[in-house]
Amino acid sequence: MDVVQKLQVLADAAKYDVACTSSGVNRSGKRGQLGSTSNAGCCHSFTPDGRCVTLLKVLMTNVCIYDCAYCVNRSSNAEIQRVCFTPRELADLTIGFYRRNYIEGLFVSSGVIKSPDDTTELMLRTLRILREEYKFRGYIHAKAVPGTSPELLNRLGLLADRLSVNMELPSEQSLRLLCPQKSKTDILLPMRQISEFIAEDSESRAMVRKSKTVYMSTSRPKQATRAFAPAGQSTQMIIGATPESDYQILNLAASLYKKMQLKRVFFSAYLPVVQDVRLPSNDAVQLNREHRLYQADWLLRFYGFHVDEIIDEQNPFLEEGVDPKANWALNHLDHFPVEVNTCEQEMLLRVPGIGVRGAKLIMRARRQSTLGEYELRKLGIAFNRARYFITCNGTYCGQGYEYSRDSLLAALQKPIEGGRHGRRADRAIKGQMSLFESLAEVTALPENNTQALMGASA
Amino acid sequence: MSEVCSSTVEVFDDVAYVYDGTLEGLLSSVFEAYINKEDPADVVPAGLIQLRLAQRIFSVSTNWEYAERVRRGIIRKCGRRTFFQIAKASVSSRADAGVSIYRFIRYAMDKHKGRSQAISNISHPAVSHLFEITRSVDNECEHIRQFARFEHLKDDGVQVWFAKVNPKDSVVPLVLGHFVERFNVQPFIIFDEVHGVAGVWDGIKKRLVQTDSADILSVMPMRSATEIDMQEAWRTFYRSVSIDSRYNPELRRHFMPMRFWRNITEMQIDETGLKKI
Repeated sequence: MDVVQKLQVLADAAKYDVACTSSGVNRSGKRGQLGSTSNAGCCHSFTPDGRCVTLLKVLMTNVCIYDCAYCVNRSSNAEIQRVCFTPRELADLTIGFYRRNYIEGLFVSSGVIKSPDDTTELMLRTLRILREEYKFRGYIHAKAVPGTSPELLNRLGLLADRLSVNMELPSEQSLRLLCPQKSKTDILLPMRQISEFIAEDSESRAMVRKSKTVYMSTSRPKQATRAFAPAGQSTQMIIGATPESDYQILNLAASLYKKMQLKRVFFSAYLPVVQDVRLPSNDAVQLNREHRLYQADWLLRFYGFHVDEIIDEQNPFLEEGVDPKANWALNHLDHFPVEVNTCEQEMLLRVPGIGVRGAKLIMRARRQSTLGEYELRKLGIAFNRARYFITCNGTYCGQGYEYSRDSLLAALQKPIEGGRHGRRADRAIKGQMSLFESLAEVTALPENNTQALMGASA
Repeated sequence: MSEVCSSTVEVFDDVAYVYDGTLEGLLSSVFEAYINKEDPADVVPAGLIQLRLAQRIFSVSTNWEYAERVRRGIIRKCGRRTFFQIAKASVSSRADAGVSIYRFIRYAMDKHKGRSQAISNISHPAVSHLFEITRSVDNECEHIRQFARFEHLKDDGVQVWFAKVNPKDSVVPLVLGHFVERFNVQPFIIFDEVHGVAGVWDGIKKRLVQTDSADILSVMPMRSATEIDMQEAWRTFYRSVSIDSRYNPELRRHFMPMRFWRNITEMQIDETGLKKI
């Protein structure tokens, strides 16, 4: 079997892994060595589903001793062909693609062949060819297989830029149901080890950097040693295969960020790829739910939100129709409107329609001039969203709507330009009467929608 | 310096400065505007001029000495970073880039406080136009960093990695450094077929060459033996990572505009559709 056929099988098997980022580490190029990485990462292509391709994302092998219900590579699946890359083949392929500017680097994951240690050995050999033989300075993301011995994990981290351990499912019960051979502790153990290695490594490197201490030698080590997983670690979990609520998922994510210092938690809407009685028969892929979870995740990481502000136990699922940030603003109208020319950056970040970049631009621009609608639009603020929550130099910008939750919700959900374009095109607002709707449907409107309508017209 | 005047000068003193499209030409125009005590309504490259009613043309001949004086003036007053923003904006293909830069320089030179004050006042009209232009040039640079695709060309003894790109703005000078840093072990050429600019790295020194599409393609060696296989492997990979139940072509077009597709390897269906070289 030639490499291209293997690539086809193993890329196909790896595509359900959502993480594909090349960010988090800055390593400039070096004369005589191939490659560099930048902090922001770079997407080199986009698949027909709009996801980015930045790394060569493949499995080392799709042979697996585990039998997880949702996974296409489960050992009981007889339909797929089982193949395995040799380390040399995978390394050559990576270099070949990298030189043509197809990719930023390698994302190597694997089914578990023989044992976790054997699998990790295979990955290690690939990484060693890349880093030591080819002097490759590009990005490498490696999967840590639960059950790997800490020594191997340590070596893997010293060669890779980012490590990740898959959380798979958001709770212990679900794991027991769908992957009976894995347990929560199996998964959390390597995660904890990685975060300890990272902490230890950065501490010892910081010591070496302190050249003025009297008790350490003032000379730096001649050979710059490689840092342990400088881009940190990430994880992913499947959404919608099991009955966990958004409340549980987000709390889990928040605690992972806090306790394990994770860089990213990825969510992957469950796609039915294999038949199993334990899995939901699944009607539609919950892409919208995945999208809302990512929005909430961004609020946790960049907007200074606490998880309790986004979601609580009484309403354990995020609103479908409005994003979590706007939802928070609508529930806390007493904090608004804020004056864009004077309020602090933390509060600007909480205004729907103003993002991290927008808030920074506002802070910069308002030092020299007073900002009004024209200026805000020039800065690229989504003014049509922000207008209901701000005043510009004392003037409230959202006239025409009652300052209440229902009325502003209707304003935010209003289709853009009368529904002529954009994601919300051709979509009627819930409760909006339509010419072609039968009267029966209109009368059967749920209670809260009627209220929203009344609010909007009041 | 040649001056073409129409007979209506006295009635509408509206003038368009026409320069040769280079940064030096643009800076010379700025110099001329100060010297002539004029405030041109348009400052445009020769190819993009669209005269307004009763507008006269003043063709600026590029003068390196003038350009250098303007450059030094800007750096003294506003710092190197501001000048870099101006240089970046000058490669833009937008017809209003010239006049936006001219307006910004006027505004920036009038300001007398701190160095970066002018450039950071982004809500001022003179600055916000420049800001918009540099942002779009930055985006174009990022597109080229993302979508340039190199091919390995090799004849007996000679080898080169060749990429053909078609950016809106002439950004090859801005992205060449990135590719040199990354691919310093391989001699490469990144050729902008729209503006006829080639960035060349021979392993020691980087150069920019103004050239013609036919000229450069005629001297290129043939594809190396493994090149087609590599491209086929990449297309195979691209096809197999897509998830059909998430199909969303609008999103893909948003991130990867269709105007780049003709030079992107994986967007060619098969070998026959491969970019001609």
